[in-house]
Amino acid sequence: MVKYVIQRVTLAFFTTFIILSLTFILIKLLPFERPIGDDRQQTTYFDRQYNLGYVYRFDVPTDKYGELLYKSPANKGKTSYYYMVPVMTQYVNWLKNIVTEWDWGDSKTYQPNVKASVIIMKRIGYSIRLNIIALIISVPLGVMLGIFAALKKNTPIDHVISTIVMVFISIPHFVLIIFLLQFLAYGLGWFPSTWPTDTAPISERIRGYIIPIFTLAFGPICSYCRNTRAELCDVLESDYLLLARTKGLTRRQAINRHALKNAMVPIFPGIVGSFVGILGGSIVLEQLYGIPGIGKLFVLAMNYKDYDILFVDMAIFTTISLLTGVVVDMSYGFIDPRIRMGAKK
Amino acid sequence: MADKNNFDFLANDFELVQSDKAIKDKKLETKPTTFFKDALKRFRKNKSSVVAAIILSILILMAIFVPIISPYDIESVKTEEKFLAPKLFDAGFGFWDGTRSYEHILYDPINEVPAVSEKYSIAALKQSLVSINVDPDITYIDSYNQYGYGGLLVLATDTKLNNKDVFLSSKTVEFTDKGAYTLDIEFDNEEDFGEGKLGEYRVYLKTGEGEDDKIMIRDFSKDYSPISFDISSAMKENRLKNVSASIVFDVKSSTSSIQYVLIKSVKLGCGERAKNADVLAEVSFDNPTEMVGITDLQSNEYWSCSGRKGLHNSEVKYCDYVLDTYMLVYGNANEIEYSASELNEWIKKGWCTYDYKVGPESFVKLSNECPIDVVRDQKVLTVTKKLSSITGSGWNYHKLGYESMPRYIMGTDASGVDVFKRAFAGLRTSLILGVIVFAVCFVIGLIWGSISGYFGGNIDLFMERITDIIYGVPWIVVITLCILHLGNSFFTFCFALCLTDWIGTASLTRHQFYRFKGREYVLASRTLGASDGRLIFKHILPNSMGTIITSSVLMIPGVIMSEATLAYLNLGLKGVHSFGVLMSNNQQYMGIYSNLVLFPATIMGLMVIMFNLFGNGLRDAMNPTLKGSE
Repeated sequence: MVKYVIQRVTLAFFTTFIILSLTFILIKLLPFERPIGDDRQQTTYFDRQYNLGYVYRFDVPTDKYGELLYKSPANKGKTSYYYMVPVMTQYVNWLKNIVTEWDWGDSKTYQPNVKASVIIMKRIGYSIRLNIIALIISVPLGVMLGIFAALKKNTPIDHVISTIVMVFISIPHFVLIIFLLQFLAYGLGWFPSTWPTDTAPISERIRGYIIPIFTLAFGPICSYCRNTRAELCDVLESDYLLLARTKGLTRRQAINRHALKNAMVPIFPGIVGSFVGILGGSIVLEQLYGIPGIGKLFVLAMNYKDYDILFVDMAIFTTISLLTGVVVDMSYGFIDPRIRMGAKK
Repeated sequence: MADKNNFDFLANDFELVQSDKAIKDKKLETKPTTFFKDALKRFRKNKSSVVAAIILSILILMAIFVPIISPYDIESVKTEEKFLAPKLFDAGFGFWDGTRSYEHILYDPINEVPAVSEKYSIAALKQSLVSINVDPDITYIDSYNQYGYGGLLVLATDTKLNNKDVFLSSKTVEFTDKGAYTLDIEFDNEEDFGEGKLGEYRVYLKTGEGEDDKIMIRDFSKDYSPISFDISSAMKENRLKNVSASIVFDVKSSTSSIQYVLIKSVKLGCGERAKNADVLAEVSFDNPTEMVGITDLQSNEYWSCSGRKGLHNSEVKYCDYVLDTYMLVYGNANEIEYSASELNEWIKKGWCTYDYKVGPESFVKLSNECPIDVVRDQKVLTVTKKLSSITGSGWNYHKLGYESMPRYIMGTDASGVDVFKRAFAGLRTSLILGVIVFAVCFVIGLIWGSISGYFGGNIDLFMERITDIIYGVPWIVVITLCILHLGNSFFTFCFALCLTDWIGTASLTRHQFYRFKGREYVLASRTLGASDGRLIFKHILPNSMGTIITSSVLMIPGVIMSEATLAYLNLGLKGVHSFGVLMSNNQQYMGIYSNLVLFPATIMGLMVIMFNLFGNGLRDAMNPTLKGSE
């Protein structure tokens, strides 16, 4: 088991490394965007890039390194000329920066000369908070609905639940937000139609959470419900449950002691995975509702053509999705004694 | 006993079990069925999937044919026709009839129409009103309003501006010695405003820039009784003949709290000989038809104020009304006067007939080239009794280039474009994108999955690592990178979506191969010397094809959703009509014109739900292991 875990984590780490490297190189291959701001800010930016190893700095103009990126104004009679470092060298320097100083670079145009990690940390809180609340709501609700539907299998209640689940699993996020906004925000006026600012009164801010949480929770509720129902239906028809009933357990006892425990085994890893997923946030939701999280940052960075920020944001999404996969896989192994993944047959 | 190793069998040692010539077993009466026939039979049993299939095919057919059949132009911007309400039925039907209802809008009592600030003319508004319901209650408002009636003029010091002293000065009026000018001012002292009046309050006629160039009318610091002042005699007293003067209310406050002066009316009267009598009449402000003085209070055109000025307790009415947006834009409100010679020209060309002796109702339009549809009025010369001109109006939609009144089922968007046609044109793009991506991914995934699944071992391990890496990158990242590098185009979208979407098909195919490659029939075929290619394509693939196809078809709604999602991230497909771009562009109007987003969102939701229902039904039907389990 330990060997499997180590193997799996190493592999995931390796995959993440390759993907991030590829993304970094692809981003750096894009045409260079000028930073904004006055000369002082630009000089600060380029000096910092020089320290990070992404540009060259010379005292005299040269044509060895392609186009001149920036010419700093004379400072104490000295003018600096900045040129682009070849992408692969930048890549090596980037790796060095990350390993030695955990330095992910600076923002160029969105918030000039602010560290990318600072920008991310400021915003990730919103995304995490929303996702945690949505998760806390969706897990018990989804599982309960699933159990309920399974116990009432093939009754009208079950059909209603299944239909609703099917509908909400299918429809895209943004369609759901649109309908929630239309009916709850514009129609009934119960909740604000955009994310309240941090200076808004507390009641307004609390009400501002409702629509995003609804949107985030609907999907998971439905998928937990569907999975639980399917698993529990399987278990209820199994032979060992029949045995449990024949040895004299009541239906309730049989379900509580045997069926539920076993049905939860395949559900649980998904829940564990969701906890990793809370870091991610939903890009479309944050964009549509104006939530200042890291999903919204993605769109902002695109609009500002601030590719360094874009890269860090992409790196977060990639890492989270890979991490989720690993955690889910491993929790299967830990939870279900029947599954020993990667074990020799 | 014969030798153990020597057996001799003779023909008559054996006896036939059955010696009949014909086999009496009954031949199978039932018809043999194929795999697909059987699947179809099972699919039909699933009612919801059948319904989904029907709705889905209607949507797809609409996506193909609506952009071809619909006559409306969706390429150019027509700002005149923006934000028309969705219209399916004729106006007055009650819903979905191109009308929009508004509640609690200020009422314009003069024109008897709602007071809307849009650019539409009163006549156009009047003819487009389906119904109007004026609230009988009078509302008192404290801000100035051109539809307000009466009220008190408030002159107040402004503590924010930190000026304790305030003056209100009227526009300069010319007084001549020929007129008999009077000025009547009424104050209001009943309204309790603040802490009473503290300071010096004066009203005077300002005749020049100098300190002394003024004729004092009244110091009203303590005395709020009505003022009746004879300007002409005051002019004589001061030996002034012709003078330009303005009325000035001057408040010098002695405290820092806000001081109010409430003025009921200011009336400038004049004799008949005064040359600017009409200007003077405007200064009164208790009549809504002569409101200019008050109306312009805010604009500083008539009354300029160094503090704050406003209206208190002005009476306005509100109304609820239903407006036919189509009539407003396409109606015939623009009346144009045409000369008799122009009309004769039309009659000569055979465009219309008209008999001025009968009147406007004799107008008959014969050709579409005729610029007018209705004659409103005619003018006949009194002397010669001949027609001089007619006033006619044509349907505005003729001018905009339509044969008849347009009817937009989903209304129009900010650029005046039919949302219905644009939505289905966008859906068509999405579907084409979906089908192309599906086809490419299906082929790649099938080949990849077959090789990986069939050969297994190290080849499988290596190929799986590659899919792992591609699968690990969020699709948004892949598409963003592709768009940044290759530019935003249909091809980029195809390429980027293909890059990630084939993984699903590949892993499914691989699973199927793992499932079937150990089966006896494969082993049998291999024993007979079948090549790898034959085993893959002749034996394993046909068995797993149903599952793979049906699961992969569900990629299409995924692609449609991805396209729309990207549009919301400002990465929308450019150069072609895109469903996502339509939705994300209209998102900002959601609070006011919800139809612009709700209709497309409904189509999108319906499409995806039906696709999933249909796909799931198909998958169940195609899965032979489920046979007989229902």
